[in-house]
Amino acid sequence: MDVIEINNLCKCYGDVVAVDDVSLTVKEGEIFGLLGPNGAGKTTTIECAIGLRSFDQGFVRILGLDPLNERYNLYNRIGVQLQQTSFQDKIKVGEICRLFESLYEHPLLSQPLLEGFELAGKWNSYVQNLSGGQRQRLSIILALIPNPEIVFLDELTTGLDPKARRSMWDYVKELKKEGKTVFMTTHYMEEAEYLCDRVGIIHRGKIAAYGEVPHVIATCGIYYEIGFRCQHNVSELLLNSVSQLVELKVEGTAYTAYGKDQSILGKLVLALETNGIEYAGLNIKRPNLEDAYIKITGSEFLEEVGS
Amino acid sequence: MNRFIMITWIELKLFCRNFFNMFFGFLFPVGMLLLYGNIYGNQPTDYFGGFGTVDVSLPAYTCMIIAVTGLMSLPLTVAQYRERKILKRFMATPMKPVDILLSQVVVNFLMTVLGMVLLIITAVIVFDLSFFGRLLPVLFSFLLITLCVFSLGLVIAGVSPNGKSASVLSYLVYFPMIFLSGSTMPIELMPKGLVAFSKVLPLSYGVELLKGVWLGGKPSSYITNILVLSGIFLVSLLTAIKSFKWE
Repeated sequence: MDVIEINNLCKCYGDVVAVDDVSLTVKEGEIFGLLGPNGAGKTTTIECAIGLRSFDQGFVRILGLDPLNERYNLYNRIGVQLQQTSFQDKIKVGEICRLFESLYEHPLLSQPLLEGFELAGKWNSYVQNLSGGQRQRLSIILALIPNPEIVFLDELTTGLDPKARRSMWDYVKELKKEGKTVFMTTHYMEEAEYLCDRVGIIHRGKIAAYGEVPHVIATCGIYYEIGFRCQHNVSELLLNSVSQLVELKVEGTAYTAYGKDQSILGKLVLALETNGIEYAGLNIKRPNLEDAYIKITGSEFLEEVGS
Repeated sequence: MNRFIMITWIELKLFCRNFFNMFFGFLFPVGMLLLYGNIYGNQPTDYFGGFGTVDVSLPAYTCMIIAVTGLMSLPLTVAQYRERKILKRFMATPMKPVDILLSQVVVNFLMTVLGMVLLIITAVIVFDLSFFGRLLPVLFSFLLITLCVFSLGLVIAGVSPNGKSASVLSYLVYFPMIFLSGSTMPIELMPKGLVAFSKVLPLSYGVELLKGVWLGGKPSSYITNILVLSGIFLVSLLTAIKSFKWE
């Protein structure tokens, strides 16, 4: 069942087209990742989807609800973590939790949630004194207090150190185990590859790639790369006997073979073995989501990350 | 617990944890009262038309508190909540967005009342405060001044693009208003030029009104003040509603 349905969503800010004809669906119980560089339209898409922003064109349904006109029902059934939310000055963890409990019709109690996220001892601490990772955990807790069917996480791990990020991943996986649907945005590809069942890569407001992670990688046309060293000249042999070979580079004794899929590996090894040729340092580089992402979003990626 | 009561209760606690609010809302007015009361006493003086210094200062300092809560605390908090996306976070909950603003208004109103009560208690205990007016006109005037100043504060909160410009705007409105309206320094002490200038400050009308009814004047003698304050209240409220930016 599709719990999130976005069709032909368009949103402009003045002359700037932020979201350009975006369509996507998210199935119940999956983790969907919306990926893209800063300014690509991720946050605008999420905010339009959950009714925080009106849009110029398109159709959005979350759990069958119209986010702009049924906000009360919607917000009782989804949990939200917004990008870079801060909290009131001098508010305590326990106070913000109590406050959020009071906002919902059937809230989960925050005390067990705090224990689950290792913040149990922080009830009387000021939120501003928490570490970055603790604050992000708190914002997940606030997103879970409504006992939501869908959790929206906008750049949950941005700005966290690697260890804190890893522990966030475990928490997100745990949400999926509990049967919740997760819609997340990130610009860390290893995070998306580890967590997401399906992804959409958004570039300049348009969906540039969409589907299960292996599918997105495969459709990008990035080659498998097989490297090995060999004392003999095997160029001709490989070009003749390995049909999957797309390109072959030779630098002295170092060979690099490129193929469209991993079937090239077996054929290549077979060709070398059957001819009794010795080789060493066999190394296969599978294209990953990051390769696909960089290919799709181009050189802008590097500029944007630096900014 | 009801969600509005809950957020108001928590925001009330946050108000009390803010040093600026506590200092300028409570300590400063009470301190001024103690200082001037000790210097001049509360004997009737010709200078204030036969009233004591403390009796005259009390309604003036009440207006000073209204300016602190309405022109500083209220707009700065709201502008900060917007800039730091706290308003937006609450908009993604079942709470009505306008309830967040209302809770701020309620908190600042309650604190204004508390500040006035503290002033009265201090003045009664230390200086034998006299009250020459009637309760109803005083309450009416207090409420009208509060509505007027708070809606001015909401205009500041509404038109400021961020927290910084809200502070600048607040200071620009607040300081002339408390020093030149007669709420901090008696208008009777000011040179003629400044008295004329004070007529463009909305709070001057409030100070004059509250002082008047506190000292036994009839509200009907202050029709101009009531009309000016009501007019500013209505115009500011409409401006605030029209111009308010949620993000």
